Amino acid sequence: MEAQERADDFIAAGLASLGVEADATELAVIRAAHGVFWPPILELLELDLGGVRAEPAPDLSRPPAAEA
Amino acid sequence: MSDSPLDLPLRAQAAGVAAGELDGAELLEAALARIDERNQAVNAVVETFPERSREMLAGAPPGPLHGVPVVVKDEWPLPWRAQRFGAADMLVPASPGESGPYRALRDAGATIVGVANMHELGASSTGNVSVYGPARNPWNLERCPGGSSSGPAAAVAARLVAGAVGADGIGSIRYPAAYCGLTGLKPTFGRAAMEGHHMADVSTTIVSGPLCADAADCRLLASALFGSEMQAGEPRGLRIGVLRDEVSEDVDPAVRAACEEAIDALRAQSGGEVREIELPDLPAAALATVLIANAEGLRGVTPHRLNHLHPELSPLGRGLLKYRILLPAAAVAKAYEVRALMRRRLAALHEEVDLIAWPTVPAVAPPLEAPLVELPSGTHTADQANVRGAALANLTGVPAVSVPVGSSGGLPSALQLQGAWGADALLLDAAEALERANGRRWVEAVPPLAQGAPDPAEA
Repeated sequence: MEAQERADDFIAAGLASLGVEADATELAVIRAAHGVFWPPILELLELDLGGVRAEPAPDLSRPPAAEA
Repeated sequence: MSDSPLDLPLRAQAAGVAAGELDGAELLEAALARIDERNQAVNAVVETFPERSREMLAGAPPGPLHGVPVVVKDEWPLPWRAQRFGAADMLVPASPGESGPYRALRDAGATIVGVANMHELGASSTGNVSVYGPARNPWNLERCPGGSSSGPAAAVAARLVAGAVGADGIGSIRYPAAYCGLTGLKPTFGRAAMEGHHMADVSTTIVSGPLCADAADCRLLASALFGSEMQAGEPRGLRIGVLRDEVSEDVDPAVRAACEEAIDALRAQSGGEVREIELPDLPAAALATVLIANAEGLRGVTPHRLNHLHPELSPLGRGLLKYRILLPAAAVAKAYEVRALMRRRLAALHEEVDLIAWPTVPAVAPPLEAPLVELPSGTHTADQANVRGAALANLTGVPAVSVPVGSSGGLPSALQLQGAWGADALLLDAAEALERANGRRWVEAVPPLAQGAPDPAEA
């Protein structure tokens, strides 16, 4: 319940601060999407990638350039 | 099966026209008649334009697809029609024009006979929501055709045409190919024609690609989209990597058995070997792909625009668009680091294996009304389950192909083969070797809808 309340607060505050309106049906969709995405997003933020950094402007048609 | 030339493979239609044994005009009229006859059931083609098609045929050069009818997903503009992206509102302006796939098909001599349905905004693996109403799976009209290239898959499976151009941003060619029993290639990023797509200049995940009955037809259509001919080859000694994780094991038992049988058949056919490999963090890779694709899809999105969405956009689409703007930037930044990590890991893995094989989707096509799948781990939405195995190719840029390998409850199941960057031809060679290994049983399977129906064009 507490997590749901936090989610509802986040969604309401986020949309309101951006000035985005949502009706009841849209809010239900947003809550459902948040329930699916938010836990793995939190896990992703904590994921240890061993210091890997994003490739600057990667050429996705090729393997990554060899590290220097 | 009728003896209509429409039931011939794409390559046989092309060869027949080139040899003077088939007439492009007759093929076109037969396709239009077939669409009239069958499309009401599958809702695969959302618009035809007979005069435009006849003009295209009349001006067609003697290319490798000369006189062959095909359809194109509602994701690219044509000179006479703006794309709608399966939606009442695609957030950015769209206008008619010469898109890359249009030019590629025109220059190859093909005839675009219609525009194919797609999932609204390309936002699902199911195809059950569209401004045109959902396309339906020809194997079972109450089942999802897969998305977002729902119409291209349903059109080819229903034998309205033998080839269709789809797009794949997170599995959107491979899911419908799997659900509809077709072969679908997601090319290496950047290799296939993309000009004119409304996200071509911002997307790092979307590619165009072919959906056809089998690998040889995909090779022909992909060659046109690539602007260079891919030669067929015989794969020898394939090193096939398999994973023992949830992508391969949290799978419907019948689908898993079909895929394992196919992997073994491919190994034997190529005189190769199967190696167990490890590829950690696949769930993070799937999420990273979704985050990147959604962030890139924010172009043109403003609060004002979100408050004035077209009223006919589905509630699901409206809600998801509004949720997109709440995604945290820190997670998107992390997603690009995950991309770098997975690209490194794949580059290292492909020193050891030629292909990585796992089920394209973990279960057969779910019901249109409730796209849920039952897996050993429980009930999941099809989208949650499907993205696990498909997203990696979009995240990293590598090619992947979905190949039909079985049937369960009258619905197709499929194996995905993923290769290294530029290994598109090898994937199709491997898919063709697999077809030979199983006697082409699955690529020649025809849904009930397309069996024995009278062809008005021949009446």
